[in-house]
Amino acid sequence: MPNAAKGDGYTVFYAAIVCILCSLLLAVAAGGLRPRQEQMVELDRKFNVLKAFGAPVADAAGRRISGAEVEKLYNERVRERVIDAEKAAVVEGRSPAEISPADLAARRLLPLYEWIEDGRPTRFAFPVSGKGLWSTIYGYVALDGDLRSIVGVTFYKHGETPGLGGEIERDWFQNQFRGRELLGPEGFKPILVAKGAAGMAAQDPARVVVDGISGATLTGKGVTQFLNADIARYEAYFRTRRAGGG
Amino acid sequence: MASKLAKTFADPLSESNPITVQILGICSALAVTVQLKTALVMAISLTIVTVGSNVVISLIRKSIPGRIRLIVEMTVVSTLVIIADQFLRAYLFEVSRQLSVFVGLIITNCIVLGRIEAYAIQNPPLPSALDGLGNGLGYGSVLVLVAIVRELLGSGKLLGFRLLPEAYPNNGLLLLAPGAFIVLGLLIWTQRTLIGKFDTE
Repeated sequence: MPNAAKGDGYTVFYAAIVCILCSLLLAVAAGGLRPRQEQMVELDRKFNVLKAFGAPVADAAGRRISGAEVEKLYNERVRERVIDAEKAAVVEGRSPAEISPADLAARRLLPLYEWIEDGRPTRFAFPVSGKGLWSTIYGYVALDGDLRSIVGVTFYKHGETPGLGGEIERDWFQNQFRGRELLGPEGFKPILVAKGAAGMAAQDPARVVVDGISGATLTGKGVTQFLNADIARYEAYFRTRRAGGG
Repeated sequence: MASKLAKTFADPLSESNPITVQILGICSALAVTVQLKTALVMAISLTIVTVGSNVVISLIRKSIPGRIRLIVEMTVVSTLVIIADQFLRAYLFEVSRQLSVFVGLIITNCIVLGRIEAYAIQNPPLPSALDGLGNGLGYGSVLVLVAIVRELLGSGKLLGFRLLPEAYPNNGLLLLAPGAFIVLGLLIWTQRTLIGKFDTE
């Protein structure tokens, strides 16, 4: 090998050049594409808010509506609000995008999305997130106008195992939540992603039980845990809202 | 010379097809062939990466120090794969979501490193590019064939358009990984019978 004769210095120099060139290329590609990627992520978020609301996000053949249509539907129908968790009241004049990461992480300020029909909110959605097995899972829960039952649940951003925990983003899993009565005699009933005897547990009137995913017990546990925790954070506001204090 | 180049390009399409003959890249071939759309995107991505890495390695083949040869190859492949992944995320968000880890796993796809080691490291850029193109398309064509069978018989659609009548009972088995194994097995059998070169007895 002629290159071996060039010695260690050459090898180190060569490795350095390759590394620098490759990282430069990656930096340019990642930086150049970031605005567009963020736009896509934001569009996906809006799509999932609409999906949680049960809005028509797919055509008759089951294909997703276009980005422009998502944008249009969202702007027409969805009103973004910010809730102060402690005061259980709307913070006027602010949008969820302006909530600082610290406030969001501490759940001091909570985003709320209202589905507007004839100028009045008829459904409510809010973000939920928490740990699954490998990753933080993000999703939305939408409730009906009386804040009694679930209109829809979506999970859209996660790093769970494809085919196992990753199934949470599938319709068959998410559709199980649809139409379930969430409000019990003493506030919101706990949600349980059940393992095994889901058929029997589904009859349990004190809980909302959905069928878990085989091979994804820990993802299910995570979903159970963060759904209940995040729903509970909105309970105070929803109670005042239900009492007419909106 | 021209016929040799043509052979470099055409061989991997059938006679030395990376999937059906060399049995490489099976993992992703099973995972991304539930729908034709994901299979197409995966096929195109892998072809671009294979051609790109073959050309780059071929260009620098004489200067690569022997002791860090594999590391340099992996660095080049990883860079190209990540760039491809970034483009998918920016322009084909939904498909890149469905492909999930499998775009990133092109890095470890035996076909890519296999072509570099077997061909590009000792051949000039033009034949290397053709070799990469042939192998990428050879891989891609199998992916597309398997995906057509699986999507059509599994969900009665192609590229999301319904082709079979509503009355057709979707064959759920084909949407699962075992379905891909069966389709791929049948495909390998058919191809080997047709070529008739692989008598094992």
